[in-house]
Amino acid sequence: MKKTSLDKKFDKLRFLEENNKLVSKDQNRLISKFFHNKLAVLGLVIFTIIILATIFAPLLSSYDPVRTDLRSMRQPPSLDHWFGTDNTGRDVFSRILYGGRVSIFVGLGSSLMAALIGLAIGCYGGYKGGWIDVIALRISEIFMSFPQIILVLLLVSITGQSLTNLFVIFILTGWGGMYRLSRARMLSLREEEYVQALESFGISTFKICYKHMLPNALGPVMVMITLSTAMFILTEAGLSFLGLGVPLNVPTWGNILNVATDIVVLQNYWWMWAPVGIIISVFVLSVNFIGDGLRDSTDPSQQG
Amino acid sequence: MIFVISFLVYFGLDLTPGDAVSHMISPELAATITPAKLEAMREAYGLNASFLERYWIWLTSCLKGDFGYSMAGGVAIKDIMAKTIPATLELSIVALIISTILGCSLGILSALKKGSATDSGLTVAGMAGVSIPEFFFALVAILIFGMHLQWLPVGGRLLPHYENLLDRIPNIIMPSMVLALALTAGAMRYSRSSMLDVLAREFIKTARSKGLPEWRINILHGFRVALTPVVVLIGFRLPLLIGGSTIIEQVFQWPGIGNMFIRSVRASDYPLVMMISLMYVFVVLTASLLIDLLTALIDPRVRLGKE
Repeated sequence: MKKTSLDKKFDKLRFLEENNKLVSKDQNRLISKFFHNKLAVLGLVIFTIIILATIFAPLLSSYDPVRTDLRSMRQPPSLDHWFGTDNTGRDVFSRILYGGRVSIFVGLGSSLMAALIGLAIGCYGGYKGGWIDVIALRISEIFMSFPQIILVLLLVSITGQSLTNLFVIFILTGWGGMYRLSRARMLSLREEEYVQALESFGISTFKICYKHMLPNALGPVMVMITLSTAMFILTEAGLSFLGLGVPLNVPTWGNILNVATDIVVLQNYWWMWAPVGIIISVFVLSVNFIGDGLRDSTDPSQQG
Repeated sequence: MIFVISFLVYFGLDLTPGDAVSHMISPELAATITPAKLEAMREAYGLNASFLERYWIWLTSCLKGDFGYSMAGGVAIKDIMAKTIPATLELSIVALIISTILGCSLGILSALKKGSATDSGLTVAGMAGVSIPEFFFALVAILIFGMHLQWLPVGGRLLPHYENLLDRIPNIIMPSMVLALALTAGAMRYSRSSMLDVLAREFIKTARSKGLPEWRINILHGFRVALTPVVVLIGFRLPLLIGGSTIIEQVFQWPGIGNMFIRSVRASDYPLVMMISLMYVFVVLTASLLIDLLTALIDPRVRLGKE
């Protein structure tokens, strides 16, 4: 029998497939798509640099962020103090690095925790329904009827100011959105055939929803994590700027900016507040770029 | 819903240490006052009633329109709200108008030039608009326009009895522009995707095949259709805007409700905190009800049935 050109092509494909050459390419489609997005890669690079800088803060700056030095007050940027010193002679550069630790920890940590809680309840609730779902839905409705900043301020006024309180408050205000997102995703996944197949095998509910369905719901949740990280960092900065967030003795990005409420500082000592504002903007921007890249690579409806 | 929330808020603020009496007496007095006298004061203000009783009294008087009094100075909360809400509304509406016009035109521009440098530049600018903390932007604006160039006043709002509208404009420019920044980015995104959606539809092809000039297709046919959902969507963000204006109001010393709220949180003025946050909830819930009603109205299938 003569081989047509189509047959030859097919043979070639089969050869490739048998040698596992097609699979490996396809597996990382998400990742490679993410890395094709220039902005997302740029965001990831900036994000990594800033995080590494805050982690290795002691190596980059020899100044203690909370030690005051009244002999070197309000110095403009120099080789000794890269971003100058503030009203009480503290090195602004090292305050930004150490403050970044707290700000990023609060932002990223609380949005991860909120996602964990939201996913845990949302997956089970969306798949199984029942009273847990009904109650969680009502509670999240209550939280979502407040404008976010108002709810945070209200809770701050109830619980008082501290780092832990702020962390918990962010989790409380953030889990609702994650819960609703993962729940909606699970509701649509529930009708898929593979889930029905698993059910017919008699696999336990927990295993179906957390092991088999959860990974398919992760994409949009990951996008939401980046968005809420960005939002929490901005909220923390805003609250601390108003003096209502983290207590002032802890250096955070918002607390450093707090000095700019003084009009004298605002006008004469730009280095005390401008660099940190720019750092916040750049960091949040990089997080948003990553989120956008993730959305493009995980959400098929946004293509094109 | 709002009753459940009012209960929770009341309960939460009830848990805070200290009661109204401990806020009322001065520290000097606290040193000398006898426990019996304190108890008498509590009795007089009705604080010894059970929690549910107090909540009931508070709730019924609220429904009758008596919102109680602020702890600081004993001003009626109703008066405070009547004074501050118009200021916030004024600021929000101006910001909304600016952001809608700017956002829609930029969004449509970037949709028409999809894939070009203008488009990607605008997209990145939009992302930056969401990422820069509003108050930082406000500070920079104050520094440049308020202090160095001295074009605009640094903050504040003229009292309502300055009826001359022109005199009030300089004060509102900066806060509303800053407030509009983040909203513009959102509006741009919406209108871009909406416009792209419309341009891919059949009637645009029809218009093009009729040989109409390109601007006519874009403006008369595309723009008009794309705008309707965008404008409706943006309109619904008014409550969000009111919530978002709190920090900006504080930076510019704008005498609005957000400024008042932050001040009351700082002073632990619980009655005021409670009423203002409930008002926000009320606004959000009303708006979401309206969204539900209006999305049913603008749904194309409903409209087709009418025609």
